[in-house]
Amino acid sequence: MSSQFSGDETAPFFGFLGAAAALVFSCMGAAYGTAKSGVGVASMGVMRPELVMKSIVPVVMAGVLGIYGLIIAVIISTGINPKAKSYYLFDGYAHLSSGLACGLAGLSAGMAIGIVGDAGVRANAQQPKLFVGMILILIFAEALALYGLIVGIILSSRAGQSRAE
Amino acid sequence: MSGASTMMGVSSGSLVASSGADLTVYIFRRRNRHRHRRFSPGGIYITGSSLIGAAIKAPRITSKNLISVIFCEAVAIYGVIVAIILQTKLESVPTSQIYAPESLRAGYAIFASGIIVGFANLVCGLCVGIIGSSCALSDAQNSSLFVKILVIEIFGSALGLFGVIVGIIMSAQAAWPSKIA
Repeated sequence: MSSQFSGDETAPFFGFLGAAAALVFSCMGAAYGTAKSGVGVASMGVMRPELVMKSIVPVVMAGVLGIYGLIIAVIISTGINPKAKSYYLFDGYAHLSSGLACGLAGLSAGMAIGIVGDAGVRANAQQPKLFVGMILILIFAEALALYGLIVGIILSSRAGQSRAE
Repeated sequence: MSGASTMMGVSSGSLVASSGADLTVYIFRRRNRHRHRRFSPGGIYITGSSLIGAAIKAPRITSKNLISVIFCEAVAIYGVIVAIILQTKLESVPTSQIYAPESLRAGYAIFASGIIVGFANLVCGLCVGIIGSSCALSDAQNSSLFVKILVIEIFGSALGLFGVIVGIIMSAQAAWPSKIA
């Protein structure tokens, strides 16, 4: 009974939890951003229906956060393959940290996008010159999730580099 | 241990997804008011109470806005589907192999898959519920707004689909050790 498994046995626990953390926390941020700015759009749309389609920008930006989490979760879960490549605790911790970095950054970015989107679309309905300002602030908030994605990718690329062998 | 984490994954997937969608006991009467609800009980509850309240003055909105309730129900159905898929991957492992690395890994994979699908659909259900309630309220005022706010709801329901996709990818990694006596 030969097993082709090499590496530490409980390491996949941390790896899979990293993938779970990436997706779950990014989805929480995306859901908060979508819901909060969606309520603002609906309230504003009663008075100014022509501005609704233009004000869906915060919702789209919040949806992108979910995609960042999906990317990292797929990268991590396809990287856990102890039959092809040994998977030590080092790799498990690297994947866990990658998932947490991307996920929690996405959660914070989603909360920012939600609050800014809600206030921004309501203000844009009253003063049309504020549209560009709202977009600029939303871009800064989205950059937070992008930092998390970058760090997540860097960390998960370290997963094959343990020196135990 | 791998069996325990597997069972936890399957049950947590369907339980958490359904609690995001279904009605609960707490009844807060908040009609016709937008309020940031932090620990809301569930998506159908949020949409349903706003829909019923808004339909007092505008009964025409009831049939169209049931689609928001259906979006919320869909996330619970995702949980049931993934729970059924995961339970087909359950296998009894002989005692000598309980702590073998492959069986530990398969158990962890199913556990993480259930957690992913459960929590992603939980937050998706809450999100779709909140947007559905604003959709009903704004539709009562101006019926051209229904389709536009529905677009936002569709963005929200994509989050549940992300969870299902990653959950199914991860559950494909659950390979139990073959039974060698």
